[in-house]
Amino acid sequence: MINTTILSWVTFIYFAAFVFYLFRMVLGHEFWGKLATWTALAGLIAQSVALIIRWMTSYDLGIGHAPLSNFYESLIFFAWTIVLLYLLMEWRLKNRSIGVFVMPVAFLIMAYASIAPGVNQKIEPLIPALQSNWLTSHVLTCFMGYAAFTVAFALGMMFLIKNAVDNRSSGTSVFIRRLPSEFQMDDLMHSSAVLGFIFLTLGIVTGSVWAHYAWGSYWSWDPKETWSLITWLIYAVMLHARLVRGWRGKRMAIMAIVGFACVLFTYLGVNLLPSLHSYMM
Amino acid sequence: MSKNKSGIWSFFASVRLAIVLLFLIAFFALVGTLVPQREAVGDLAQRLSPALFSFLEKMQIFDLYHSVWFVLLSGLLSVNLIICSVDRFPTAWRRFRMKRDPQDEEAFKSMPLEDTFPSALNIRQAADVAAGVLKKKYRSVERSEDAGRVYLCAGKGRFSLFGVYIVHLSILLFIAGAVIGSVFGIEAFVNINEGDTISAINLRNAGQLLSLPFSVRCDKFTVELYESGMPKTFQSDLVFLKEGREVRSGKLRVNHPIEFEGFRFYQASYGAAPGGKATLALAREGGHRDAINVAQGYTFDLPGKEGTFQVLRVEENMMKMGPAVKVAVRSNKNEEVVFWIFQQIDQIKKISPDIFEQVPVFNPALFRPYTFSLLGLEEKYYTGLQVNHDPGTPVVVAAAILLIGGLMLILFSYARLIWVRIVQKGDEIVLAVAGRSYKNSAGLQKEIQYLFAELKGNLEKSK
Repeated sequence: MINTTILSWVTFIYFAAFVFYLFRMVLGHEFWGKLATWTALAGLIAQSVALIIRWMTSYDLGIGHAPLSNFYESLIFFAWTIVLLYLLMEWRLKNRSIGVFVMPVAFLIMAYASIAPGVNQKIEPLIPALQSNWLTSHVLTCFMGYAAFTVAFALGMMFLIKNAVDNRSSGTSVFIRRLPSEFQMDDLMHSSAVLGFIFLTLGIVTGSVWAHYAWGSYWSWDPKETWSLITWLIYAVMLHARLVRGWRGKRMAIMAIVGFACVLFTYLGVNLLPSLHSYMM
Repeated sequence: MSKNKSGIWSFFASVRLAIVLLFLIAFFALVGTLVPQREAVGDLAQRLSPALFSFLEKMQIFDLYHSVWFVLLSGLLSVNLIICSVDRFPTAWRRFRMKRDPQDEEAFKSMPLEDTFPSALNIRQAADVAAGVLKKKYRSVERSEDAGRVYLCAGKGRFSLFGVYIVHLSILLFIAGAVIGSVFGIEAFVNINEGDTISAINLRNAGQLLSLPFSVRCDKFTVELYESGMPKTFQSDLVFLKEGREVRSGKLRVNHPIEFEGFRFYQASYGAAPGGKATLALAREGGHRDAINVAQGYTFDLPGKEGTFQVLRVEENMMKMGPAVKVAVRSNKNEEVVFWIFQQIDQIKKISPDIFEQVPVFNPALFRPYTFSLLGLEEKYYTGLQVNHDPGTPVVVAAAILLIGGLMLILFSYARLIWVRIVQKGDEIVLAVAGRSYKNSAGLQKEIQYLFAELKGNLEKSK
């Protein structure tokens, strides 16, 4: 299918964008940064086109639904939200140094979607439980949240690397000097986590409204529900610790990484456990 | 209260306790996803030693989300939330009610922006222009004049001071809603065969029957399949009866529950029920053809009164040769012939032309002068319904609305006050802008910079 062909090309485009961001950090020429931004943007546009084609194709097949219904589609959408959110941030902040940490995540997700065995790329009809208007709003809000947490995670990694190198050596490399200041990274990490927290909350709420209509109970301690609650609690701790107890920097970075691990387990790890959400695989 | 805080009070008012509790709840929730819960526990019982198993069972490890531990943690979190909110709310209230003092020189002591520039306006006109700019951004502007100085004061986002308390209240409501649901709620299921009526449902936790104050009949169940064999839609035609009278009827579909007298019915599953129906055709040599609907166990008279026939079995797929019905025809002389009627008898005969010689009971014309044929099977289903009654739901809905509203208040708004001071020095104007906020000082600084630039631009170009 044409859409999956485009999407596998997008994987390489994102990889190229990552390499250009890396060149920028190492070589220090802003030319590479601009090239990286435009490459990432081209990838995002191509991916959007592919998603729209996939959406239209599903209508041609007579099973029309938004491309958010199986594991493959969710991976693709995850990568899409990450790149979208990152490019918006880059544009708002006029700072390209986060790209070198965010783009590889998007690339890896796309690559996993394209080559991992057992990821079904076909457009499939929806089972009755998924035929709901809540599908789109639930998946949309959840993945916006996941994407924001991914950015917070990338910032956390950046922070820890900068922190470790700064403490070790006196003569810092170009790469480290081109990272934003620790204060800026801490601030951005917090903003991303807040954004993610709001979207995760919306995702859980829309999910439980849907569950109320589909399964008869707004909350049934299904592993995916439980893990989304765990993730929510971890980020709640992170935000409280910063706001009231004044945690900053390294502790926040560690929380962002722990939180992201929870996000990944909510998204992927739960499939190893028996779950009502098991149709994701 | 706030002056003389006891140790217990400050323990429960602390955010440190909240953080520990949130971590603990997360940890218990995590354990619950790894250890089998409730019905899933059966397998584990055989692998663990009986002593260990019964110990874990006593510790309520196999029903963690309804265990004493979880109740205890939620209870502690509730107390923590209440005490810490009560402890801090008066401050927020004071800040909310605080009277604005335009002539607050204190405000200008910390990080004011100040500039002196020529302007064609006198101080009154300049103040009018500045007030106009402020009014556009902040609804109300207060003004005061003192010894050749004009002060303006405006504020915004006061309600965001309550955001955090709204969120805390929502969490309390969530816990309350869950408690109401678990105490007064009902979770049950029931299977109804097509055509049957039920008036009791199976409780999920207790494994007991609960009689309903009404009865439910399933007139018809329909399922539509995709080509792959996956279900596309399935639905039950339900009729609700009170004292034998039909009160309400409706189609129950997945994702579209029906509520009746506080009980919500959900289309959950379906399956094949015994007793499917078949349509048989009886052709008499030289005579006409009759079609009859039959089901297993039914007995009919033959159209010409030569005897009776009884339907022994209805098979969906007999020996992989498709739908078939087994009948016994008994003549008036009390002779009985038993044979099978296949729906796809023509194809079967094409594949093995001598089938009737090999297996005589596959011949649908064994009883002269009739030839039976099977026109079709109508499968009979049961519909699986989830039945819930949860009086906690409205509380949880309110909680969700408050939670989202509260978070939005916190994220998209913050309380701040802005002061503007204008002083005239000959042909020149001295403009100063300052602000105060309890959080987001970075955002406030930016806001003041923009405001300052706008005010200055307006004052300079006004003639």
